[in-house]
Amino acid sequence: MKMDRRLIRNFNWPLTVLVLGICTVGLINIYSAGHSLSPLSQEPYYIKQLKWIIIGIIFMIITFLIDYRTITRQAYLIYTVTIILLILVFVFGKTVQGAQRWLSFAGFTFQPSELAKLAIILVLARFFEDRGIDEKRRLRDLVIPFLLMGLPFVMILKQPDLGTALMLCAIFMFIVFFVGVYRKSLLLGAGALITMAPLAWHLLKDYQKQRLLTYLNPERDPLGAGYHAMQSIIAVGSGKLTGKGYLAGTQTQLRFLPEQQTDFVFSVLAEEWGFAGAFFVLILLVLQIFLGLKIAAGARESSGAIIAYGVTVSIALGVFVNIGMVLGLLPVVGVPLPFLSYGGSSILVLMMGVGLLLNVSGRRFLFHG
Amino acid sequence: MNDKDKLKTAHPSLLRRKISYVAIIIFLFFTLLLVRLAYLQLYKGDELRLRSETNSIRLRKIIAPRGVIMDVRGLIIADNTPSFNAFYVPNRTRSYQQIRDDLIQIYQQRSLEIPREMSKKSLPPPFVSQRLDAALSRQKLAVIEANSHLLPGVFIEVVPVRKYPYGEMMAHVIGYVGEISREQLARDISGHYSSGDFLGKFGLEKELEEFLRGQAGAEQAEVNAVGKEVRVLGKMEPIVGYNAILTIDLSLQQAAWNALSGKSGAVVVMDPRDGAILAMVSSPSFDPNLFSQGISTRAWSKLASDPLHPLENRAISGQYPPASTYKVVLAAAALEEGLATPDTAYNCNGEYEMGNRKFRCWRREGHGRVNLHRAIVESCDVYFYNLGKIIGVDTIARYAQYFGLGEKTGIDLPQEKKGRVPTKKWKKERFKAVWHPGETISISIGQGYNLVTPLQLANLYAALANGGKLYRPRIVKKIIDSDGRVYREYQPELLSQTPISEKTIQIINRALWGVVNEQGGTALASKRSEKDMSGKTGTAQVAGIARTGETIKYRVSGRRLKDHAIFVGFAPADKPEILVAILIEHAGAGGGAVAAPIAKKLVDAYFLMSQKESLTTIERPAASFASAPQLSYPGVDKR
Repeated sequence: MKMDRRLIRNFNWPLTVLVLGICTVGLINIYSAGHSLSPLSQEPYYIKQLKWIIIGIIFMIITFLIDYRTITRQAYLIYTVTIILLILVFVFGKTVQGAQRWLSFAGFTFQPSELAKLAIILVLARFFEDRGIDEKRRLRDLVIPFLLMGLPFVMILKQPDLGTALMLCAIFMFIVFFVGVYRKSLLLGAGALITMAPLAWHLLKDYQKQRLLTYLNPERDPLGAGYHAMQSIIAVGSGKLTGKGYLAGTQTQLRFLPEQQTDFVFSVLAEEWGFAGAFFVLILLVLQIFLGLKIAAGARESSGAIIAYGVTVSIALGVFVNIGMVLGLLPVVGVPLPFLSYGGSSILVLMMGVGLLLNVSGRRFLFHG
Repeated sequence: MNDKDKLKTAHPSLLRRKISYVAIIIFLFFTLLLVRLAYLQLYKGDELRLRSETNSIRLRKIIAPRGVIMDVRGLIIADNTPSFNAFYVPNRTRSYQQIRDDLIQIYQQRSLEIPREMSKKSLPPPFVSQRLDAALSRQKLAVIEANSHLLPGVFIEVVPVRKYPYGEMMAHVIGYVGEISREQLARDISGHYSSGDFLGKFGLEKELEEFLRGQAGAEQAEVNAVGKEVRVLGKMEPIVGYNAILTIDLSLQQAAWNALSGKSGAVVVMDPRDGAILAMVSSPSFDPNLFSQGISTRAWSKLASDPLHPLENRAISGQYPPASTYKVVLAAAALEEGLATPDTAYNCNGEYEMGNRKFRCWRREGHGRVNLHRAIVESCDVYFYNLGKIIGVDTIARYAQYFGLGEKTGIDLPQEKKGRVPTKKWKKERFKAVWHPGETISISIGQGYNLVTPLQLANLYAALANGGKLYRPRIVKKIIDSDGRVYREYQPELLSQTPISEKTIQIINRALWGVVNEQGGTALASKRSEKDMSGKTGTAQVAGIARTGETIKYRVSGRRLKDHAIFVGFAPADKPEILVAILIEHAGAGGGAVAAPIAKKLVDAYFLMSQKESLTTIERPAASFASAPQLSYPGVDKR
């Protein structure tokens, strides 16, 4: 592959530095979260996370180097591979706490549902690439994209992983808004989705229903989700302005927080670093998201714009849903906090997403229309 | 710019406008998060900081009492008994390890047993109650009470624990409970279980788990620095499980258990009219109470390694050659296929020759010339060798299957085996070898590859007794809630109507009556004064036949295994309402001598009982199960 000099010249250093910075903050925080957790025999979480970040950077470079138009052309293949992986999860998947989400090979475990987010963005970019932006798009033109999203959606819902499934759905809706749709159709579609909600209720596992009900009425379950939400709020609030100090969060170190290295990692941060620390990290995340949107706005082609927009929106949704949950604004659904939560699959897919952002950003001047 | 390019290229202004909409939405999202963050950390900060410092919310699971299991009359077979457990809630002043070490020291001073669980190394989270010791003896209770000043925060809790008042006698039917395993916990997606929970592991405890388990409650309470409860914040009452009523009649069960005492074997007592199991016993047995609070490794390995397999329910999992009890299948096949009539007769001189092999009749001097009726009555082997040869293995197999052999009966108990009905195809698949004609001769008298469970045998004869109906045997009558309301009732379930004519069944049944009541019958030992019992004996050889035709006697730990004795019988002959299948392992004598007398005892007991009952039911018209003993646990919701 011939490297174009302009690819280097146009390299988006601010985004790269920002992402690596957020990852570093994440590592420091995971060290504290795992401080009281990992038994001595096991490799500590922060070491594992560091390894994943390094692998992630390699993947990021690869996704950056291959022209995103080449990647977009292979979108259906990538999508098919993802679906096959999701099927494999059902057949060989590892079951943890009642949910079958993980594939493991050669000592690594991987969550194909994370990959599905990226696959759906790519496949939608491919689908709408030729059709362009069209404000007069009708609902029937959206049937195929809807089915493309619906298949992995149902499979992930059945694993069961409500959080990731809903994320997929939200990414789809944001992209549809982006590529344009007849306004009446948009309303009609939204109405249809709402009427389908009771149907989806039947697909949910008992414990998922339980969680949603608990969100509506925390008193329902003093032992389960209600307890988690409450302990998280206490942890966040008790951080006050400047926090209790690194490794000194009582809620964290005494293990009041559930899943404190993954889903509730932001409560650890807020407890130990206070409003100042939490605000700082929020600013970093917002900056990252706005850089992503800027790349989308400057993209040369609709496919590049959709990819950059899709990746950025999925990160923004992850941040909002996770922190919303930690702060007791949203029900407890297992959605990791991008770049900050412990988790290999999540980091790997995020880094590939960042690679795509750099890709679109770097190639905005490379070809002529 | 051509058309295609125009499509592919983004519309800069439109796209930018959309992106700025999304940017505004995201900005609003983040503002919302920031406002919430500021509210919690800056406005509510002082209050929440205080709460985190005094965070002492204790979580306690309240175990739901398991449903009770009763016999058909409402006598309790599986119950709950209060057990005293010591708990500790780790808090800031003292960790779990500290208090545990203190308690171990106190135990040691009084040379009390230190339970295994106290040597666990894991670090439990604070304010979640941890069990220190379970099933406290009176002595331990007293010691803990007396030293409460040394053990601040340790409290005693009463927990319902499974109790089986009839122990060994009901062990295989009722089963036992045990602590949930790691794998089971991983597979549980219902969210019903958490680590340390007990659930049904065997028998009806396992089969009826979803009904019996109830639902655990929980309590969230604020505790002070030494772990004493200050204020209850939230409580979810446990819901007691459903109760189960069985078709088992404890008095018959007791009689069957007594009859088997000391022997290895199984007894199945069934109502042939609908497949209800009235008694089911397997011997040797075990004490299911050993499992109720977690069985010790030593006791478990002793049970699991016992060469007599006390944990196996021989009635449904034991597979044996049906021996002569199988002859009715051949009789049915021959009559139905028109290969024999009741008058078909063969001469028996004590042996039967095929090729260069000789097959013996059990009676060395032979039976002389016998017809079908006499052949069944006297259990002539040579007669059935002849029949088997003309019927052929696959047709025999088809009739065996009509009677439910080779398939699980579908009884509501786990771990049922399906036995084996050999066919030519089966042998080809299993041994890659063709069927040998001599093997047909062996299976004609229920030896060779044939295997049945005692329950299958009972069901086969039940189908003869009731005129050809094959029912699914059932042991659970109904599931009721703790107020006695019926939640689920199990009706008799007809599996199939065997395609065998009434006439054929009559001919066979007449012969079965002869087995018990006619001169020369093999089961005269079970003859009742009413002369109303029918049945068939069997003596299963526990031996193999080598290729050379020699008989090999199996040996287990140096002792030669003797033949199994079998008897299946039902009464009254004309309108059967009770059926008994008995198998005694290595009895050393035939079914007529060993098994048949037991059947008589059980049938006698049954009729004696039903006589008494018809007298008592007049005084007590509606004996209802709603009046079944109620368990009351304070603060437990009734279902």
